Amino acid sequence: MNERQLIALVIAGDRLAGRALYDTYAPRVYSLAYRLSGDAEKAREFTQDTFIRAFSRLAQFRGDAAFATWLHRITVTVISNARRSEVRIAREVTLDEANSMEITTPEAEPDLKECISRAIEDLSEVYRTTLVMHDIEGYTHAEIAETLGVPEGTCKSRLSAARAQLRQALAAFKE
Amino acid sequence: MDDNRFDDVIRNLPRDFKIPVEPPLEEMWRAIESAHFDAPVSRAPRGFSRSVPWLAAAATLLIGIGIGRYVPAKSAGTPPPSPATVASSDKVVTTDTSAVADAYRYQTSRYLGQAAALLISLPSKDANEKADATFSNKATDLLVTTRLLIDSPAASNDPKLRSLLEDLELVLVQIARLRSERNKGDLDLIHQAVEQGDVLSRLNSAVAITQSSE
Repeated sequence: MNERQLIALVIAGDRLAGRALYDTYAPRVYSLAYRLSGDAEKAREFTQDTFIRAFSRLAQFRGDAAFATWLHRITVTVISNARRSEVRIAREVTLDEANSMEITTPEAEPDLKECISRAIEDLSEVYRTTLVMHDIEGYTHAEIAETLGVPEGTCKSRLSAARAQLRQALAAFKE
Repeated sequence: MDDNRFDDVIRNLPRDFKIPVEPPLEEMWRAIESAHFDAPVSRAPRGFSRSVPWLAAAATLLIGIGIGRYVPAKSAGTPPPSPATVASSDKVVTTDTSAVADAYRYQTSRYLGQAAALLISLPSKDANEKADATFSNKATDLLVTTRLLIDSPAASNDPKLRSLLEDLELVLVQIARLRSERNKGDLDLIHQAVEQGDVLSRLNSAVAITQSSE
């Protein structure tokens, strides 16, 4: 049974077809969600949200792009929306709360992996997403461009800028 | 850090950066199955009401005030029924429910008109001027109403409207972001979302339908 037939069955309410689509794509969706969120619980929630949204909108899938691309676009949107909510909530921490936080002792010198993680976390959302998808999850520029809805050239220049920022952030690191 | 060392860093990122744990496939599937297949009319879990309850409450209040203003205006010509009539007559109860439905329809129609106006005034793909803060602020305001309407009876009884509202939600989120980080790629993404989802023409149809039913 091909993917189009599976999609038609899911639209008709066939859960076995839904499970087949899920088995095919869930590991990669989860992996992307985990790399972008860095948290197993969030990755689980984002993956669930992605499939629930995708299944409920399956009738709108026209097949202009590959199903995987359409699904990954939903994943990136779900994660992006959640991150914005987190940032908004973080901004609501009052000054009093901030003042009441305990003063922590300086951390030990971070190792290279920690520096890399922090540097990637500090990238802007579009740069981080592009870098994670290309250099870590192995998506091609064409796939990323289609997923994010930007021209391939934009994708390449974002990756280049992301690497440059990463390099700058790691410049001071001494091994 | 020299070029070779940095190339090594990039090459090793897949094994150095947040290595995914084994996905809990069965657990996730149970949640998806329960949300989608066991309750066909149920919707995806939404973070909005969970994460920002005060915002949802404020939006509810705003729309509630709007509805409150609209309902008396529609029934201004009819004298209020006596308590006895209200208690004994099914017809009066039906009229009240209809008034609330009318009010929702009015609010939805008003909202759809505003959303259409916003999308029509979206800068062209080639425009390179700075995003107007008012423009993205408007999108943020409409986003609050969108999310509230998605949860309202107006959308739950109308799958087409619900689908339109969900697509609008995604577009408005992107427009709201323009304030801080606009670039041509972002604008392209918005135009693409509007075009691919056929959002504007669906919006115009919805405006026409809601206005003709008022």
